[in-house]
Amino acid sequence: MKKVKSLVLAGLLAFAPALGMNGHALAQDNAVAAAPAADNAAAPAESANAAAPAAEAAPAATVAAPPRMKPTEGVGMPKPGEFTLQEQFTSTGHTARWLHDVMLLPLIFAISIFVLILMIYAMWKFRRSANPIPSKTAHNTMIEVIWTVLPVVILLVVAVPSIGLLADQYKPAPKDAVVVKVTGYQWYWGYEYPDNGIPEFVSNMLPEDKAKANGEPYLLAPDNRLVLPAGRPIKLIITGADVIHAFAVPSLWVKMDAVPGRLNEKSFTIDKPGVYYGQCSELCGARHGFMPIAIEALPPAQFDQWVLSQGGKPAGAAAAEKTADAAPAAPAADKKI
Amino acid sequence: MTTITADHHGDHAHDHHDADHKPAFFQRWFMSTNHKDIGTLYLIFAIIAGIIGGGISGLMRAELAHPGIQYLHTWAMMMDGPEATLDQAYHLWNVLITAHGLIMVFFMVMPAMIGGFGNWFVPIMIGAPDMAFPRMNNVSFWLLIPAFALLLGSTFVPGGTGNGAGTGWTVYAPLSTSGSAGPAVDMAILSLHIAGASSILGAINFITTILNMRAPGMTLHKMPLFVWSVLVTAFLLLLALPVLAAAITMLLTDRNFGTTFYDAAGGGDPELYQHLFWFFGHPEVYIMILPGFGIVSQIISTFSRKPVFGYLGMAYAMVAIGVVGFVVWAHHMFTTGMSVNVKMYFTAATMVIAVPTGIKIFSWIATIWGGSISFKTPMVWALGFIFLFTVGGVTGVVLANGGVDDVLHDTYYVVAHFHYVLSLGAVFGLFAGFYYWFPKMSGKMYNEFLGHLHFWVFFAGVNLLFFPMHFLGLSGMPRRYPDYPAAFEKWNELASHGYEIMAAGMLIFFINLIWSLAAGKKAVGNPWGEGATTLEWTLPSPPPYHQFETLPVIDDNGHH
Amino acid sequence: MATLPPSPFDRDRRNRRTLVAMATVGLAMLGLGFASVPLYRIFCEQTGFGGTTKRASADVQVQAAVGHTMSIRFDSNVQPGMPWQFYPEHRTDTVTIGRKDMAIFIARNMSDKPVTGTASFNVTPTQAGAYFTKIQCFCFTQQTLQPGQEVRMPVLYFVDPKILQDSDNKDTQQITLSYTFYPVEQDKKPS
Repeated sequence: MKKVKSLVLAGLLAFAPALGMNGHALAQDNAVAAAPAADNAAAPAESANAAAPAAEAAPAATVAAPPRMKPTEGVGMPKPGEFTLQEQFTSTGHTARWLHDVMLLPLIFAISIFVLILMIYAMWKFRRSANPIPSKTAHNTMIEVIWTVLPVVILLVVAVPSIGLLADQYKPAPKDAVVVKVTGYQWYWGYEYPDNGIPEFVSNMLPEDKAKANGEPYLLAPDNRLVLPAGRPIKLIITGADVIHAFAVPSLWVKMDAVPGRLNEKSFTIDKPGVYYGQCSELCGARHGFMPIAIEALPPAQFDQWVLSQGGKPAGAAAAEKTADAAPAAPAADKKI
Repeated sequence: MTTITADHHGDHAHDHHDADHKPAFFQRWFMSTNHKDIGTLYLIFAIIAGIIGGGISGLMRAELAHPGIQYLHTWAMMMDGPEATLDQAYHLWNVLITAHGLIMVFFMVMPAMIGGFGNWFVPIMIGAPDMAFPRMNNVSFWLLIPAFALLLGSTFVPGGTGNGAGTGWTVYAPLSTSGSAGPAVDMAILSLHIAGASSILGAINFITTILNMRAPGMTLHKMPLFVWSVLVTAFLLLLALPVLAAAITMLLTDRNFGTTFYDAAGGGDPELYQHLFWFFGHPEVYIMILPGFGIVSQIISTFSRKPVFGYLGMAYAMVAIGVVGFVVWAHHMFTTGMSVNVKMYFTAATMVIAVPTGIKIFSWIATIWGGSISFKTPMVWALGFIFLFTVGGVTGVVLANGGVDDVLHDTYYVVAHFHYVLSLGAVFGLFAGFYYWFPKMSGKMYNEFLGHLHFWVFFAGVNLLFFPMHFLGLSGMPRRYPDYPAAFEKWNELASHGYEIMAAGMLIFFINLIWSLAAGKKAVGNPWGEGATTLEWTLPSPPPYHQFETLPVIDDNGHH
Repeated sequence: MATLPPSPFDRDRRNRRTLVAMATVGLAMLGLGFASVPLYRIFCEQTGFGGTTKRASADVQVQAAVGHTMSIRFDSNVQPGMPWQFYPEHRTDTVTIGRKDMAIFIARNMSDKPVTGTASFNVTPTQAGAYFTKIQCFCFTQQTLQPGQEVRMPVLYFVDPKILQDSDNKDTQQITLSYTFYPVEQDKKPS
């Protein structure tokens, strides 16, 4: 029953945004499709839970959203015929890519080639026609010790940067980070900015013709992107609504399961503005392959403008508000109880 | 390794009538208690399952050859009726990946390795007349039939969005509980229960046989490495499969009886299922590959005419792999949001497995080193195994790094990795063993030319099929996708061509098989010459229906 | 060291003994599989694994670490299809580590039928779970709301000052406490 409902909902969102039920759903999309900025003024999203038809009338935001950013070909997305990891745009990504490209890849190549050369040499040298009498050696303690200890040493060398990378990945964001709550649904994503007062809006895959018209890769491009600031710390809190999904953006070195009933968090800072694509990475049912992710990283000023255009409050204002509403929250003030 | 006095069989011709008395057809094949007949049944079963599982991968490669939905919708209409929606087609995709995984793991590799070769050769290699519990052995095999029927049947009943179980072979909750209405997933789970029961019975049988039924003088440290590998595998089965049984039983009660073991709504945790599944699932991959290690060790030694280098190290490396295999499971769950210390532990523990694996690879090379190598078909398969398993192993070291896995998890890199160790590792081990023992099992020689041709075509095919998947994974293509962005087309197309070549290789295999059975040269007791030192080569080919009615005595003058 | 061939009778007895031993091992592992449910819960509660919080009784005494504060974020979820609104009174709060504090969550039944719900919770970052101690909360207790009814549900908690000594948490500036409400179906019993 529940599933049918979300299916219907997903269907509506995907194919009939005009119903006005989620008027915001195609806001960004329309912006590209040469829709007037005024359309964006009506953008403030209502969460699917509390869908109110009055959305259009809600806040009288007059700020226009920045235009939908054009992706750069081959950046933040896979390149045709690519051999390697995507170009990275976070510090973890740089470290991890370095670990893979500079340490692990040469190492595994060297080991494979070493084994191959040993085998070919032995196969040639000790073929029956060249070596009719086999040796009877079945032991050599020295060499056995060497091939036990040497891999241990190699692994220790690999382990040091590997553990460092792990620690780096788990570095929590500072408390003034931009927080977005990401929710995986069957089969779309929902994004909410709790500190900016932007309620949840959903992100559905663009159909092929729309994606092409936008100049975006089909199957990677959603209608609404997750808009984030470049250069500011970001904390995503990720959860799933129905089954397990995984929020993944390869070029930001982000992959985190969206598990129903629990929250996972992922912190990172995006180096520079751009569009970064990703896809759901945990089998979640029929349309698992059709709930893409796109992060639009804007320069901080433009991000604030976007927040305003959505009827939200940019960071500074939000912080002030926060202190106001969480009244006794002044540091170490005396608490009730 | 050990000198064997087989004079008990010198006078074999005299008692031929008694030893070779076979029961009537129905009794022989349907109520069999003979380990060789049951082994044959297992092998036939595995070949049939392999054809089905391999056929499914053919469907998948056809669909994935180009971006866009090519055939999937048509197939969905064939399965679910002409009004099948696109969502049902996508669901069919998930059914295909699920079926391919489950069939290849539970109904192809395991029955062939343990049921087939284990049954055939463990008793002979330790000088036993049969398995310890011949009737239980028969039950083990026949349980597989309803299990397989349930799995295949599940594809025709509703399982959520469309027909069939579309949960992946991992059957993660809550997709497999609240996310898949209909009986298909229940049937698939029940199928796993029955296949698991079959394997547990088989494991107990093998452990008992190996511990108690060895011929006089056949100490544990004189057992051929294949027997060692089956012993370790049997223990892994016995320790891992009951945990899977418990895990999927709780899935069934969550689905049908309102319990909430994996449902956060009632205080359960979907992550618990993943922990339990992978506590079974990681040893399971060693269950699939260890017997392959054993087979390759026998073959390398036979065709190099040398005893296995570092016998004890080889045996205990397998034990070590088995033991460590139980404490690394959560490296399959690096992206579930585990804490940093847990992730560090599982990264480090996983890397440790590279050490015993390295010992095995270098010991194999040391075995051929100084040998007198003849490149018969089983040997080329075994050599191919060593190299390809190395390639699969080193990408495992990459994936073991929890930090790197954050991007590679659930991408085609993982698909490439586990197909290199399983499809190119375990399957190469299976073919090596099949060619090695085919003369012994059938009494006919296979065709050497076709065997080599099969190897080279198959080798080229699978490498072309799976190597590009590393690139796809690195650039971010997720697993279990029926369609992909255009950027991934090049490598996908290449992989699909690789499948075609591999399929041609399989055709050669079947031609060889049929030709050899019908018109192969008669095989002598030991077609491989002085390098073949294990007990099966002291018997005629095929062995008498009842072997070792007087137990052979293993001399103590040999040592490794 | 060739031993004498065991007589078939001996061998059968030995086989049976091995069979029983191995079957016991198998059954023990099966039992362990089921026992993992409570064991996992205990493990999570002891270690804070997976963001499980600690519990304490109301009379617990802790020494507040004056001058050390922690930002607490409150997060709320309602399972799709459940006609409730559920949100924290304040999104974030800053507390002194070790001092007890109360947060209020508000739930309202938006439908015209009484609805019963129950909530689960977790804490991120996971390494902070072991230090987030709840004295009183509404998790896993069933709440029935009449049509249109609104309730304010308190959570009494403190952050254990031991967090200041934990190097894994040296960069932790904010802890998120998340609740998810689910409708209670009558046939679902807590396991």
